[in-house]
Amino acid sequence: MAAYFDLLSAKLGKAVSQAQSNNDNETLIVLSDKKLIKKAALEIKKKFDILFMLVVVDYKPRFELNYVFSSYSSKDILTLRVNIDEKDYSIDSISKIFDSANWEEREAYDLFGIKFNGHPDLRRILLPEDWPGHPMRKDFIVTDEVRNWTGLDLKF
Amino acid sequence: MEQKKSFRLNIGPVHPATHGVFKIVVDIDGDTIKRAQTEIGFLHRAKEKIAEARYFSNYYPIVDKLDYVSAINMEVLYASLVEKAADIKIPPRAAYIRTIMCEIQRIMSHLIFMGSFGEDVGNITSLVWTLRERELLMNIIEKISGGRLAPMYMTNGGSFYDFPDGISEDITKAIDKIEERINHEYQSFFLKNELFLKRTKGVAIIDQEMVKRLGITGPGMRAAGIKRDLRKDEPYLCYDKVDFDVPVSKDGDAYARFMMRVDEILQSIKIIRQALKDLPAGDYRIKTPWMMKIPPKYTFVRQETPRGEMAMYMVTNGDTKPYRLKIRSATFFNIRALEEALVGEKVADAVVTIASLDPVMGEVDR
Repeated sequence: MAAYFDLLSAKLGKAVSQAQSNNDNETLIVLSDKKLIKKAALEIKKKFDILFMLVVVDYKPRFELNYVFSSYSSKDILTLRVNIDEKDYSIDSISKIFDSANWEEREAYDLFGIKFNGHPDLRRILLPEDWPGHPMRKDFIVTDEVRNWTGLDLKF
Repeated sequence: MEQKKSFRLNIGPVHPATHGVFKIVVDIDGDTIKRAQTEIGFLHRAKEKIAEARYFSNYYPIVDKLDYVSAINMEVLYASLVEKAADIKIPPRAAYIRTIMCEIQRIMSHLIFMGSFGEDVGNITSLVWTLRERELLMNIIEKISGGRLAPMYMTNGGSFYDFPDGISEDITKAIDKIEERINHEYQSFFLKNELFLKRTKGVAIIDQEMVKRLGITGPGMRAAGIKRDLRKDEPYLCYDKVDFDVPVSKDGDAYARFMMRVDEILQSIKIIRQALKDLPAGDYRIKTPWMMKIPPKYTFVRQETPRGEMAMYMVTNGDTKPYRLKIRSATFFNIRALEEALVGEKVADAVVTIASLDPVMGEVDR
């Protein structure tokens, strides 16, 4: 388990730190600087095949992004935790490195409104293009605009 | 006269071949697909948001409708997640009951796949046949849980009811019949059927490189030659106590993906037989409070569902409800393969390609 941390800390130095995980086979690494996400992903790509899932947690006003990586040849999981704050809800996209991240990042953009810089096709994925707001945010309020949304421009 | 080089065709969102509401936009030149774009989200029901407003014991009816073709697998996944987070150890009988129910549900799900796949190839009879076999198991699920499509059988700490008396004879009788049908009738119906082979062999190849790039899991991955099954590699429930094989193929075409499911049904039957034989006596559930608080932690669980590796990641904050629940849907990743697998295929094969991935949109859109 420590092997994955050593691999990352060799390249990124003090920007990464290991945290306690309560899941078996899981290595939990916290990345303190979101600008290094691409560099970290390049290192992780050497050991892991896919982005298994991208878990965004809304601790308002900051967001916590948990990138869960998985491999086809082992049962190990690596979780990379990055925080992004209210100054700028954006982070570099890793979908050029992990192609499997493409739709997961689109989903995070759709439901949480996080911008992924350099994403090849950053559109909403589950909700319609003109949906008002990002519903998985904790401060999302169901307004009349949302309640009466039909997706059609109807006039009666 | 000027000729249009290619034109755009919308398949879906409401189309019998898309197995739900799923839209695929293809640019075709003559009869060949040049470009394919998928569009999902028509069945989005905000299940992750609903989870944040529900007690841990109160989410089962919602989780049932995630992948409505294999509802028990979804229930077991969520139950395992809550039990892991709350440190609940289920009794051995409950683990065996869950294993048996999971495998029954897997057979039912694969039978639906075989039927609808056969129908998409052009063989309407196949759906009637597989639904007939599925009904045998559906009656068993109904006998055990009282429900059919959405049984709501699992709960925190075990299952709602014990197996009724004499159910193991019923299950044995049903799986014997299904095994016999698969080994004889289905062989002639699908595997020795020249038309079926012509439509599926060499169609829509998803190779290992593509699997590893897009994150495809489940039978689609095993059809491309990667031997991996979470039931074998990270045994949960009582999969480490039963003996079964993981079928693998090298071809990666629609036929191989079909064959994976056929072989998996036979393996599931093998698992059910062993689990029924070893089914221990004792409690089928331990009592857990209806409203319980889970301390702040991050819990991750993944299991092998009929469509691939499904996972749930739950963030709790000491409250009676989850702070965040993220569901990793296997088909969400698998279905992206269509954008590449369809290119170069004929329009008539598009339907076969979609069906061979076995999408259930309830799971994709969540």
